[in-house]
Amino acid sequence: MNVLLFLIPISIVLLLIGIAAFFWAVRRDQFDNLDAAALDILTDDSRPEPDKKSDAG
Amino acid sequence: MTGTATCFHCGETLDGKAVNAEIDGARQVFCCHGCAGAAQWILSQGLADYYRLRSEHGGRVDEQAMDYSAWDRDEVRNSHCRSTPQGMEVVLLTDGMHCAACSWLIQKALQKDPGVRQVNANAITGRIEIRWDPAQNRLSGLCKQLARLGYKPYLSMNEDYQREKRRERNRLLLKLGIAALVTTQTMMFSEALYLDTRQEMPLATRDFFRWLTFLLCSPVVFYSGSEFIRGMLRELKHRQPGMDTLAASSILLAYFASLYQTVIGGEHIWFDAAAMFVLFLLSARVLERFARNTARAKVDLLAKAQPQFAWRMQDGRREQCPISQVEAGDILFLAPGESVPADGVLLSEALEVDESLLTGEAALQTRRRGETLFAGSTLGPIAGELQASRTGGDTQLSQILRLVQKAQNAKPAENLWAERLASRFVIIMFTVTVLAYAFWWQVDPDKAFPVALAVLVAACPCALSLAVPAAVSSAFDALARAGVLVLSPDALTKLKDIDHVVFDKTGTLTTGQAHLKDVQTFNGCSESEALQLAYSMELGSKHPLAHAFKADGLAQTVFDALSVAPGHGIQARLGDAEYRLGKTGFAAPGQPDAGIWLSREQRLLAHFTLEDPIKPDAAAAIEHLRGQSLHCHLLSGDSLAHVQDVAGTLGLGSYRARVDPEGKMQYLKALQQAGGKVLMIGDGINDAPVLAQADVSMAMGSGAYVAQSNADILLMNSKLSQIGHVLSVAAHMRHLMRQNLRWAIAYNVIAVGVALSGLIHPGYASLGMAGSSLLVTLNALRIYRITP
Repeated sequence: MNVLLFLIPISIVLLLIGIAAFFWAVRRDQFDNLDAAALDILTDDSRPEPDKKSDAG
Repeated sequence: MTGTATCFHCGETLDGKAVNAEIDGARQVFCCHGCAGAAQWILSQGLADYYRLRSEHGGRVDEQAMDYSAWDRDEVRNSHCRSTPQGMEVVLLTDGMHCAACSWLIQKALQKDPGVRQVNANAITGRIEIRWDPAQNRLSGLCKQLARLGYKPYLSMNEDYQREKRRERNRLLLKLGIAALVTTQTMMFSEALYLDTRQEMPLATRDFFRWLTFLLCSPVVFYSGSEFIRGMLRELKHRQPGMDTLAASSILLAYFASLYQTVIGGEHIWFDAAAMFVLFLLSARVLERFARNTARAKVDLLAKAQPQFAWRMQDGRREQCPISQVEAGDILFLAPGESVPADGVLLSEALEVDESLLTGEAALQTRRRGETLFAGSTLGPIAGELQASRTGGDTQLSQILRLVQKAQNAKPAENLWAERLASRFVIIMFTVTVLAYAFWWQVDPDKAFPVALAVLVAACPCALSLAVPAAVSSAFDALARAGVLVLSPDALTKLKDIDHVVFDKTGTLTTGQAHLKDVQTFNGCSESEALQLAYSMELGSKHPLAHAFKADGLAQTVFDALSVAPGHGIQARLGDAEYRLGKTGFAAPGQPDAGIWLSREQRLLAHFTLEDPIKPDAAAAIEHLRGQSLHCHLLSGDSLAHVQDVAGTLGLGSYRARVDPEGKMQYLKALQQAGGKVLMIGDGINDAPVLAQADVSMAMGSGAYVAQSNADILLMNSKLSQIGHVLSVAAHMRHLMRQNLRWAIAYNVIAVGVALSGLIHPGYASLGMAGSSLLVTLNALRIYRITP
């Protein structure tokens, strides 16, 4: 059963990462506009967006 | 070249002066240079996908209204922009966003600008949130860009309220997210305990798992579940236990009992059950809340109508100032075509205003010295001065806005009913639980607590309390997708009792826009010449009737001088000749008082008869209503001849002409006193009182704001065919509601019976509860199958 000592902390850490990601997404208003995002995938625009410094913040 | 004669960009029917432009190697036609420019720009930026993705045409690009320099003033910056780490932030509203492709285009287009850091355009709420670097671009530049694409920007007037709403939405989302993520994990760990059916797990491992689930369950109960715990405290304070009390007490009881069992090393824990209660109850609440917010967002968008600036007269000079600085007593200059910034008394001799926003009356109204002008109406072709009497939040427009907000916050009636039911249910269930505990204490003290908890959980009327809101909110959402907003929550339930449908005429059964019906010419004037003169005079004076005279291939005559005689007509000078267009007394003395007359040097040229055509779908809609054995009536303030005409065409037996709002009320009350239930459908301010008096009311999206605020249901695209759709959705909703209630009650009765027998573990009881909640929610989704 010693394997539990690894698996349980791993599962908790994964959970915390998931929660952090969700908080980040909500705070950055990622759930604000779900309609426009759904269209992005349909466009032919294969060029990557120009990197903007502010996105890091 | 497109086959149809509509503008490639905005879809407007093309008149004579179409613009050709090269688009993607093919020639396309546009209604104006503005639209052509917008399309060329969109393509040059590699955003051609917009034309493929959109489901509706774009807004027409207004070539004139592109001066946004006033938006760069400090007052705007101070009151509407915020400083954030990513630069300045502003929220703009636009009424041109129709579908997701619009918001996609806005985001892509603005992001091309190097100064813009973040754009978020939401087609549902019509709001565009922009963060940009003020050093690189001005607000006016961004506004110009939006206007160039056909999205006219407005400033948002109730930003604090909006921001608060959004914060609340995000808070709920976070709570739900935490509940979902952590509950899954709690259930995983609990599963390990459940699978240990033969009690082979070492005690230390078992306790380790129990403490783990305790640790995970705690944030779910106290953070995500705070919605219910706070609700319980509120209910207890008012001594009215309801849904929240039962939900929160089940949650807390399961949680603390499990904690107690964990500490003493007892047989069972129910942490997973506690977390599951929170997750399922919260999902239901979030779904209902979001569905209601979507419907509200459209109404909030109406708050953009207020003007942003006023011209104040200071020592004989005009100076522009933000509307918030206007005080009662200030003298304001009103520019032609602009909105009136405050309620006030007219100081100029006479002018014309368009009060359609307030009254639904499309024709320009004449106002003379000393009469009152209302904020939110739009000035006609003549400039004027006014002394402000009421400003800002005191204006009639603001008061109407507040009324609507108040109405929106009113509690849904079905929910009230469900809550009363739940309240009684709660008290009964607590009694049953205590009795069960006492009974089992006598029989088998060890089982007393688990049985009591199982009863409490099984009794939780989740499905029961979800049964109604789930059906209601999915019906609201299904209707919102079809362009129908339900403002009063119990409107759909009340529709079943309706036996009379009363229509207003102008703007409801008819389009409300004048169309040319007939032209008579005199003294050798040709028809096209008469039309051209009338069109040019109307257009030159920016008169809204101009579109009625618009015809293909019509050129515009440029007059030497044009002036408007308020309430009478327009006079124009071309060379030595004076032309007059207007009512009989002004343009053609001695002629019958009907229609519009055109004369040159007092010699008759033409007589125009304008009519208000019946909407194309009116006949079918009324036929449909009659098929459901509903009595249709027509009430109008218009003349008997017009009303008879419309009633005859549509086959309406009961009609009244020349009725004022009071008369309409009387008619409605008479119907109601005879035991009838009335559905009123109208659009103008004169309909507002009747709309409020009717049992259920529908207003047109194109109508007056006052009418809309008094209506239960808004038909956003003003199509009459939607009435039938609303009726069938409402009928289906009631069917689903009854079905849901039956299922939920059956579930509760059976589950409580089983729980009382002591055969069921509280965890399984909660599984049953979740299952029944899911069942009613999924059942409610069947409403989307109904298509208009």
